[in-house]
Amino acid sequence: MTGAQEPIIELRGVTKSYYRGGERLDVLVDLDLSAPEGSFEALMGPSGSGKSTLLNLIAGLDVPTSGTVRVAGSDLGTLSETARAEWRSSTIGFIFQTYNLMPVLTALENVELPLLLTSLRSAERKKRARTALRIVGLEDRADHRPRQLSGGQEQRVAIARAVVTDPKIIVADEPTGDLDRRSADEILDLLGRLNQEFKKTIFVVTHDPHVAERATIIRTLDKGTFK
Amino acid sequence: MNVVGIGLRNAWRNKVRAFLTMLGVAVAVVAFLFLRTILSSWTAGVESAARDRLATRHKVTFVLPLPLRYAEQIRRVPGVKAACWANWFGGKNPRDENKFFASIAVDSNTFFGVSDEVKVPPEERETWLHDRRGALVGDLLARQFHWKVGDKVTLSGTIYPGDWEFMIDGVYTATRRSVDRSTFFFHWDYLNESLGEGQKDRIGWVMTRIDDPSQAGNIARRIDALFADQDTQTLTMSERAMNNSFLGMFSAVLKAMDFVSIVILLIMALILGNTIAMGVRERAHEYGVLRAIGFLPRHLVLFIVGEAVLIGFLGATLGLAIAVPLINRAVGLYLEENMAGFFPYFRVAPGAALAAVALATVLAFAVAAIPAYQVSRLSTIDALRRIG
Repeated sequence: MTGAQEPIIELRGVTKSYYRGGERLDVLVDLDLSAPEGSFEALMGPSGSGKSTLLNLIAGLDVPTSGTVRVAGSDLGTLSETARAEWRSSTIGFIFQTYNLMPVLTALENVELPLLLTSLRSAERKKRARTALRIVGLEDRADHRPRQLSGGQEQRVAIARAVVTDPKIIVADEPTGDLDRRSADEILDLLGRLNQEFKKTIFVVTHDPHVAERATIIRTLDKGTFK
Repeated sequence: MNVVGIGLRNAWRNKVRAFLTMLGVAVAVVAFLFLRTILSSWTAGVESAARDRLATRHKVTFVLPLPLRYAEQIRRVPGVKAACWANWFGGKNPRDENKFFASIAVDSNTFFGVSDEVKVPPEERETWLHDRRGALVGDLLARQFHWKVGDKVTLSGTIYPGDWEFMIDGVYTATRRSVDRSTFFFHWDYLNESLGEGQKDRIGWVMTRIDDPSQAGNIARRIDALFADQDTQTLTMSERAMNNSFLGMFSAVLKAMDFVSIVILLIMALILGNTIAMGVRERAHEYGVLRAIGFLPRHLVLFIVGEAVLIGFLGATLGLAIAVPLINRAVGLYLEENMAGFFPYFRVAPGAALAAVALATVLAFAVAAIPAYQVSRLSTIDALRRIG
């Protein structure tokens, strides 16, 4: 599927259920979703509404109980665990609320991490990692360890890590949840730039209305269905 | 940077814990090598026994004596080059009765023909051969008791009671490391002459030198066949088997040491395993992140196993660096000088050193395999939900 308005994310009749104590719990119920390539979507909703579960399905971390999840041309329900991992490494960039950088690695090495899964040579990996750090404005912090960076800088390194493999889609789970307003705005500016300049499809789960304001499409989940 | 490199860097994440774990491994390796060295030193006589020597003793036990005439008959058996008889004397130095050393009465005429690894300066050897009360002492024993050539010494007999006077005629060294350099040799004739009629002409064992080591079994059978119809029957065996049968008295102690040395390594493995398991538990969320960005379970296994193997290997190497000088240059020298009867050569065997490092590394691999397997089975979402 190509073209700016073609859906890059398409869910049809998706239900996700868990079993706890022998009781079935439907977290997502018969959900349909279609997100065009290059969109900036915000997914809102109260706690327990199924936001993270939906994000996990779109990112290929989980598979639906029923229905189809088609992302960037792949039917994720048909892929094996290993195939989904390989698909994620090339298609999805992850941004987490708590940054999740490896403390033993420098900023540059953290950004380089996803490229270890490619066949690129070390020099090329480092070149790409530096480029990604330049995009997030942290090239001069390349040799710093995460503990030597502020929260906002750590999240920018995490964004550089998310884009270094040039994925089509960036998924973010509460990316500004741990940041002050100023740092949060910087991160949102950066996500906006990635969407506008680099044409990345961005899918953000958030509670924060400020984040949602930046999105082109806002969806709200409640009890497993869109409101 | 590569996948293995990340695993290795993870080892230093908690420096204090990594250092203490390595120290634990190092201490275990030192203890392991100490015990292995005790064992190898104790059995050194067995390991280095001459292949062309046989020992004949009473069939029931080496405590019971043989008639002297047996030695002459054994000497005539085809294939036997030389034969020397001996008796365990069990003497003690009355000035220091707690220090054990071997004292053996030997037939001086045939002694050097059979025990050619005992080296004595020619003039001292000549003096001893012609001095009925003369004694040859190992250089370590001489040093221990400050004896020198020309000294008159008295031993108190435990098997043959009384005070026995000797003249130190020579100090011997050995051409083989494992030969006990703290033995007191003296003339069997002197012992025999001093005994009452009922005790005369009885010998403890006969050592023989043979032409062809490959015929040792046949020659031993021929010797024993000579006395098969006698009241006193014999048991002939290789020198190695003879030494082994002597060590058999301590076999329970040796087996216990063997067992303890393995237990020490298992304790080390548990210490290391605990450290790795703690690290893995703390980093479960991080492993979830790695899985999310595309790393496969096998990559996580490499991280965990690489870290464990590094700590195990470095800890073992540290242990080796401590154990070798400690044992070879301190404890070993002391034991060789003061307890040479038990520990004639107390040094870390290269094989034991290699085994210690290899076992520590292999055990590190083994103990890391369990948490690594658990992590590889963990779902990405479950791992991401865990808080480190």
